[in-house]
Amino acid sequence: MKLRCLLLIWLLLTIIYGCTSVKSWERGTLAKPQMAQEPTPLQSVIRAHIYSSREAAGTAGAAQGGGCGCY
Amino acid sequence: MLPGLLYPAAQAAESDSLDFQYSHYQEGKRQITGLSSDEETGEYKIGGIKNAYNPIEVESQHGHANVSLSDRVKFAFNYTQDTWGGATPVATAPAVFGNNREVYSDAGTIAGASPLLTGQNGGKVLFDSNRKPVAYALPGEPDSGLLSSQQLTHVLASASPETRKQGDFKLTHEWNEAALSLGGGISVEDDYESRFGNIGGRWDLNQKLTTLNLDLSYTNSDTHAVLDHDSLPYLDYSHYRANGQLTKTKDSAQSSILSGGRQDWASHFGITQIINKNALMSADIGYTRSTGYLSNPYKAVSVVFIDPLNQNGNLPPGIIQGKLKPLLEQRPEVRNQWNLGGRYVQFINSLDAALHFDYRFSADDWGIHSHTFEADWVQPLGNGWTLTPRVRYYSQSAADFYTPWLVSEQAYRQQPANTGRNPALPYNPNKLPDHFSSDHRLSGFGALSGALTVSKTFGKAVTLETGFEYYTHQGSFKLGGGGENAFADFDYWLANAAVKVNLDTFVGSSHDQHAQHGEHGHHHHGSHAPAGVMFDHLLPKAGDMMVGYRYMYGSQGGTILNGDVAVNDSAIVNRGCGPNPCFLKPASMNMTMHMLDLMYAPTDWLTLMLMPQFMDMSMNMKRLSGAPNDDVANNNIGNSAGSNIGEHIEHHVQNGHETGGIGDLGMYALFKFFDDGTHHFHATAGLSAPTADINIQLRRNHQVEGGFIHYGMQLGNGTWDFKPSLTYTGQLEEFSWGAQVNATVRLEDKNKSGYALGDIFQAMAWSGYNLTDWLSASVRGVYTTQGSINGRFNGLINQFGPMDYPGSYGGKFWDIGFGLSAAIPSGDLAGNRVSVEWLQPVKDDVNGYQLERDGTLSATWSLAF
Repeated sequence: MKLRCLLLIWLLLTIIYGCTSVKSWERGTLAKPQMAQEPTPLQSVIRAHIYSSREAAGTAGAAQGGGCGCY
Repeated sequence: MLPGLLYPAAQAAESDSLDFQYSHYQEGKRQITGLSSDEETGEYKIGGIKNAYNPIEVESQHGHANVSLSDRVKFAFNYTQDTWGGATPVATAPAVFGNNREVYSDAGTIAGASPLLTGQNGGKVLFDSNRKPVAYALPGEPDSGLLSSQQLTHVLASASPETRKQGDFKLTHEWNEAALSLGGGISVEDDYESRFGNIGGRWDLNQKLTTLNLDLSYTNSDTHAVLDHDSLPYLDYSHYRANGQLTKTKDSAQSSILSGGRQDWASHFGITQIINKNALMSADIGYTRSTGYLSNPYKAVSVVFIDPLNQNGNLPPGIIQGKLKPLLEQRPEVRNQWNLGGRYVQFINSLDAALHFDYRFSADDWGIHSHTFEADWVQPLGNGWTLTPRVRYYSQSAADFYTPWLVSEQAYRQQPANTGRNPALPYNPNKLPDHFSSDHRLSGFGALSGALTVSKTFGKAVTLETGFEYYTHQGSFKLGGGGENAFADFDYWLANAAVKVNLDTFVGSSHDQHAQHGEHGHHHHGSHAPAGVMFDHLLPKAGDMMVGYRYMYGSQGGTILNGDVAVNDSAIVNRGCGPNPCFLKPASMNMTMHMLDLMYAPTDWLTLMLMPQFMDMSMNMKRLSGAPNDDVANNNIGNSAGSNIGEHIEHHVQNGHETGGIGDLGMYALFKFFDDGTHHFHATAGLSAPTADINIQLRRNHQVEGGFIHYGMQLGNGTWDFKPSLTYTGQLEEFSWGAQVNATVRLEDKNKSGYALGDIFQAMAWSGYNLTDWLSASVRGVYTTQGSINGRFNGLINQFGPMDYPGSYGGKFWDIGFGLSAAIPSGDLAGNRVSVEWLQPVKDDVNGYQLERDGTLSATWSLAF
């Protein structure tokens, strides 16, 4: 199944990359705000709410509420 | 300390923060098509019709707090509030059926389109021999030829503003290499309530190069939608009646409530991996199972029933007739959704920037497959400025059961008689698809959006952020083609502004500040006025800043007063509405304000202050006993002649009114006159800018305009106002006291809606006592006088009760307030101050006829630095 293949590829890629080692004192760049996984977390909440009321795709993550979005 | 050692994990923990965000969503006007008559020949033609409805608008406010309860335990809380209103598609139909009819104003110009769910011939529609929809070229004349068109159009319906409120929390326990979180919340709106809970875990592996996340969540939601009695006669909802999902409303026999419950179980697994010192990636997979009532109670599908046995009558050769009846949409009651996503973040050394790339694939058993691509470029520019441009592309295939409209070869009968048919249904459901929806959000389409976010951080502590996004939904953008036609296209823009306060940065600085101020620390504490007092202090010295948040909740309910005397219904009917009788009275009214205080002192003697405000209001109304029949309101003085406005009385009782959004913007300058450490005296000069919406209207019903919503439910003043005040404060040891006089003077005779609120004068005095070194109590007396409204709405207002008349606003008010104020003297949260005050009405002497006040709660939080 296409879905399972994609998942497998992702996991493999992640494990391969996982073999590299980055010492904790080498992680200065990774701690910069621009490297945060969500660079604009507040906006992301609003945008996700709008997208979910305008598009049919599923959203990632745990339930955060969001209301009917019937309009 | 190296920043790398501070946040060594692949997924950094959130710092303690308080954030506030405002956003505005604005859709573009939908294109609609309809039949109109050619001015010369009188023949029908198909064309775009003026859409006079305001498109969907959503005003949102979002507050977020994240605080450490201990080294290991964090608590996050969110409060979100949306107010939305405007027109949205209810159904889709061939334009030639005439579902959109032009409406002419009194002056003869085209005012807009009137939506007709069953088309313009009361449901009778025609097809040619090829089963293409047609209309007679001349209205009602079978011999005039045929107008044929495949063009589809949306049929719109508008909604008066409604508000949704959501509160949710998350409690997280952190270990060295793991975390466990528990969260939950509730979202409440008039027709939908949702409760949810979630549990999540995080494990850091491999010297924190790898992070695993697992989340499980459950949501339980209830729909209880009031089906509008205006559209009920035109809609078929028998499927839901047969299912037992319809009940009558308790206040009105004319409308029904559609109820349904749904449950969503979602699980999500993610892995984040540091690839090297400049890049990280993450992958996740999610599964959601939804069951129950998954349909939208306000969406219908146009179904044409063609009865082969009923093709007689005056039909030209080859022409087939059918009956157009929209059925409330019926989606499957189960949905299984999978989604798979990945994110890659790369640091670009030469530019000190980061590129974020996201992809997500989602598939479900409704047949919808979607792809989302998103790229962000986060570019710091120095001096605390950051610029983030973003592009996003989304594409989805249509649900298997999506159909713009349907044809069914069977008779539609109001009274089911034939055997073999579900007796509760006027049609045979076996001859229709199992599920159907023409909600364009389930159609095939693509969407492209571009956004730009600008943020500026002041000294690491406070960040101001603003963003703008433009989004366009088009059938032709669908990946691989085959999307819905252009009639369903729309676009929107989204703008937001946020203030973010990082509390972690105060851990060091506030200690220093506290130490530095020494004896001043105490002095500061005593000089703060009760929570309900504004402009009570300047910042101590040049360069100081303060951010604050103010909350106010005011409630009215119970008795109607005339002057200072309670009056009964018959007095209101006869005297409360000027030259007209009253039909309704307000039963309760609530107002909530969220305000931000942003203060900055350019010099020791001057403090500047900016105060954006966000309002929401709700009002419920009751019929007055002894009021005349509703149709008497049609003769009201002050209404446009001949209108049928009495129809709206029922709507006022059925549905309370709600409004919300951005309020007026206050700008103030505080000047220090005198300060000897015990006595302080300062003056404030302020301007209030008319940024609020004062043009809010109720929706059109029964082809009768709703007109302006009550004066008191508009979100602001609409005028430029001058707001001066004089304040004196003093303190000695554990005692503090103060007095203030302030005024609001309208600088314009009327706002753009034709009226001006009355001027306000207020005088107050208070006294406080420090119970401990961190907690103080206060008592305050307030006198307020406000004039009645000048002028009146310059457009239609349906006057049904005293609240619709300018004379029933303002008055003289006496209140007494009891307050508590806590200042955190040391520790991580030093410098924070929280105050609350309850203002209890003592006496009201109102202008005209008004609802008695219950009281006002004020709460403030402020942080000086």
